[in-house]
Amino acid sequence: MTGLFKGCAIALAATIGIAGAASAQDCPVKLGAILPVSGPMGQVGERISNTGAFAVKLFNEAGGVKGCPVEYVLRDTQGQSAIGVDAAKSLVDLEGVAALIGAVSSGVSLPVLTSVAVPSKVVQVSCCSSSESFTALAEEGKTEGYWFRTYATNRSQSAMGAKLTVDSGFKKTAIIYVNTDFGVGLAKRYEEDIAKLGGTITSSIAYNESQQSYRAEVTKAMEGEPDSLFLVAFPVDGSTITREWLALGGTDNLIVNNSLRSEDYIKAVGAQYLTNLIGYDSAQPRVGSVDTFNELFEAEFDGPPDGPGLHSVFDAVNVVLLAMESSDEITGDNIREGIRAVTADGGTEVYPGVEGIARAKELIAAGEAIRYVGATGALQFDANGDVQAPKMTWKLDGETNVETGYLSTEEVAELIKMLDAN
Amino acid sequence: MIGVLSYLIFFLILALTFGIAVMGLNLQWGFTGLFNAGVAGFLAVGGYTFAILTGPERDAVFGGFELPYIVGLLGAMVAAGIVAVIVGLVTLRLRDEYLAVATFGIAVSIQLVAVNWEYVTGGTLGLISIPNPSKGLADGPLRQNAVYLGIVLIVVALAYIGLQRIVQSPWGRVLKAIREDEVAAASLGKNPTRVRLEAFALGCALMGLSGGLYVGFIGFVGATDFLPIITFQIWTMLIVGGSGNMKGAVLGALIVWGVWTGSGFAISKIVAPEWQAQSGALQAVLIGLILVLTLLMRPKGMIGEDVNVSRHATDT
Repeated sequence: MTGLFKGCAIALAATIGIAGAASAQDCPVKLGAILPVSGPMGQVGERISNTGAFAVKLFNEAGGVKGCPVEYVLRDTQGQSAIGVDAAKSLVDLEGVAALIGAVSSGVSLPVLTSVAVPSKVVQVSCCSSSESFTALAEEGKTEGYWFRTYATNRSQSAMGAKLTVDSGFKKTAIIYVNTDFGVGLAKRYEEDIAKLGGTITSSIAYNESQQSYRAEVTKAMEGEPDSLFLVAFPVDGSTITREWLALGGTDNLIVNNSLRSEDYIKAVGAQYLTNLIGYDSAQPRVGSVDTFNELFEAEFDGPPDGPGLHSVFDAVNVVLLAMESSDEITGDNIREGIRAVTADGGTEVYPGVEGIARAKELIAAGEAIRYVGATGALQFDANGDVQAPKMTWKLDGETNVETGYLSTEEVAELIKMLDAN
Repeated sequence: MIGVLSYLIFFLILALTFGIAVMGLNLQWGFTGLFNAGVAGFLAVGGYTFAILTGPERDAVFGGFELPYIVGLLGAMVAAGIVAVIVGLVTLRLRDEYLAVATFGIAVSIQLVAVNWEYVTGGTLGLISIPNPSKGLADGPLRQNAVYLGIVLIVVALAYIGLQRIVQSPWGRVLKAIREDEVAAASLGKNPTRVRLEAFALGCALMGLSGGLYVGFIGFVGATDFLPIITFQIWTMLIVGGSGNMKGAVLGALIVWGVWTGSGFAISKIVAPEWQAQSGALQAVLIGLILVLTLLMRPKGMIGEDVNVSRHATDT
């Protein structure tokens, strides 16, 4: 066992040596971020991280939190759960952060939440994790309110898909979905929602990503003569599936999920075959704060904020920092309450950007309630820490997609309430 | 200082948990010469078995037996061992790199099963709310983690003592004989095929144990927990620590996990966030560098192999 003890001693010495240099202070206020800036998700993660850092920069220009500059401390998860868990723990214990931004994939966010954030009473706000497991965990009371996400959950997606299907008069629908937490959750909920709205499902078939052909899945989905197909896929595999589906004689009544509202998909299949295609997508809320963010972003990065997680990470950072500003003392518990306080209905609306944040700080200092309306519009966290987003529906007109309907956040929330009540 | 202590405990829990898998791999590679490139798969079998045995009941998912922690760990070992016997019967006729390719394929298959077999593994959503025994034994994260570290230390000690006895036994010497020259071992009346299978199953059972300990600590298991890169990490730990020596296996786990996490900490201290994507690659380079340097300068690892002679050998 001597090796073991030697190893412990070395590790102890190393940790103390490193930590000695980073003694805890009141200023600056530290905000931890655990994001996959390298590894398979690296490119997505890097843009998300830079946007998060940008939000911190703007907040600092507006005076920081409680007169202190905010330091954005980033740790790379490399897309691995064990590394992410360790990074989060080190941010909490060695850096003393009271809130964590991240992670991107649910498979990393969940272990971080259960083994670090909740036991250490630290708030965790994810920009991008979509798994339904978080909602389930929150319903069991296991997140203790420390979990939030600024990314609208699948719940609204299935509701929109089901509404679209039934409103179009389809009665027998087949589902083909991508076998990820996103696809599985969405397909399952869709099946429940369709049943409540009076439609029926003929079959529900999962497919694994990046195959050459999906003939087997498509053939299976055709059993029971569906009059429509709900396709939950990403552009490359989605176009393969659609081509095979149509080639084998499937109906061209297609309902597609948000990720297929993409030129790649439409070009790969051919717009002339997709005249009966309908879809839904998250809509940018029709409020000025979104334009404010888009302008700020373009001025900083010389390009539009296209890509997953950018709007939502910006809001994640802002609500956490505003929650810190509104707390007497920066603790996980106070931030947990603060996030709800600064997004609650009825407060004076404040927008992102230096001026908006400065105004928010003034109002907080004056003891007035604020409501942060940000890059994703007004955030309404439900009891489980989830948010909803407005939705739009679309179809193709020639090769361009045109909007056919718009549901505001409130209308989406109502739709879900109606479905859940049944 | 509380923060440092708290982090150190957390670090040791993860490093030593991996150390158990490294000991299992050591039995296979260091002693028997079996190139198992499917470590991640056996960790997954152990992890999921533990979750199914100890986890709460769920709608639409198999399991939720809410059995005691210790049963979960034993079950994780047994399940990984059984899978290893099945895999071993099929693949152990293969030698060296062929065995490596076959076991790697099996690990990938196990991961795919974990993603797709929703009824048992929860599919891509994984299994949540796996109980952690330390939650009932102490208050506050620091004490709870200290208790869990105690559990891990006991398991490591048991595994270490057990393995030491095994590898110093006549059976252990047969392992080395097979590693050095299988034909010679067979000519002495030993049954290499059988012994190889036994060593493989026992090593994989330890990997299963490691997976169970990990899941019991984290409280969640999902299909992305056991990516193929874990296999690479475990192998690096063994090579740096010194294959053929159980102390080396544990030391290697501490060193490599320490470098892995320590370099992440150092990078976040030194490098501005906008450059971290580039320096993240540096971390992988660093691990590779340590591996190469170890192979060049200390080919037998930090601690070399123990000489192991029968106590009867001196009598004659």
